[in-house]
Amino acid sequence: MQRRSILLLGVMALMLGGMAPAQAASRTVWSGLVIANNVENPEPIPLELNPLEGTLKSLFGYNQFKVIGQSRKPLVSGSEDWLASSKYFSLHVDSKGSNSAGYVLTLKLFQEKNLLLETDAKLSKASPLVIKGPQVGDGQLLLVLVVQ
Amino acid sequence: MKTFEEKWTAWIDGKLSGAELAEFEASLPDKAAAEAEKRDAQKLGTFLKEHLPCAAMGNEDFFNHQLRERIAGDEPAIRDRETTGTGRAWWPIGRLVWVGSTALAIFSVCTFFVMREKAPTDQSQYLTQILNARVDPAVSPNATISMFETQEDKVTVLWVEGLQSLPSEYAHK
Repeated sequence: MQRRSILLLGVMALMLGGMAPAQAASRTVWSGLVIANNVENPEPIPLELNPLEGTLKSLFGYNQFKVIGQSRKPLVSGSEDWLASSKYFSLHVDSKGSNSAGYVLTLKLFQEKNLLLETDAKLSKASPLVIKGPQVGDGQLLLVLVVQ
Repeated sequence: MKTFEEKWTAWIDGKLSGAELAEFEASLPDKAAAEAEKRDAQKLGTFLKEHLPCAAMGNEDFFNHQLRERIAGDEPAIRDRETTGTGRAWWPIGRLVWVGSTALAIFSVCTFFVMREKAPTDQSQYLTQILNARVDPAVSPNATISMFETQEDKVTVLWVEGLQSLPSEYAHK
């Protein structure tokens, strides 16, 4: 009986101790290539950008935001890399590690094979990142990264 | 249908009679030898009865008492096996309370450490930070870079001006 008590307590302690890593391992980073422009009948904003709708509209002055390329990457080790790409653009993301605040990322925006922009950022779990890219036609290319 | 051995034993004991006795004696290959063997067996039986009587138990009360004690000792174990998993309570209330409070204490300690680890020490840890940014000056010689955070929903913005404009076909998926 005594042995059973110790076993039960051990299992409970392991379960409680495992809660923190499980929470950390369940994060996903959504990366999107977004074209913002003004049209008469704008399409509804994509679900991933819904929380940012007000900020995007007020910052850039456009009424439509269309995702032309995206990637949803679950981060387990914190050291992964992935690509979000459209027909002409690609965003390469290299995660260099993570801590309790977020992920250290290196982002590279390519227009076909030309490197347009490179940046290192610490992406927080509570704070999305928006990058203003080049003008495309009458609109604007935006890069958006959100930890979900 | 009796076997030969059964009939043989019955014959030696003198329990065969009538037609069965006649039939058995007719089946014996050497009746004289069989008769001699029968006599020997009967002599041996008589001898054993006379000289090896059943040993009388001198301590039968003590033996009886030992047996009863052994049976009484085994009964609870048998009852336990029969009732395990059906009627008996798993743990008494006292032990459940003890385990509950221990689990609560472990949970509190773990929660404290988890919360302490997750709590950022600095407000800036909540926000995404741009560590550095660069553009290829050969491709975009007039590009400028600035960064800021919006107040309302804590969006970090990397604002790049002066990148080369591209035709609308580049907006295709």
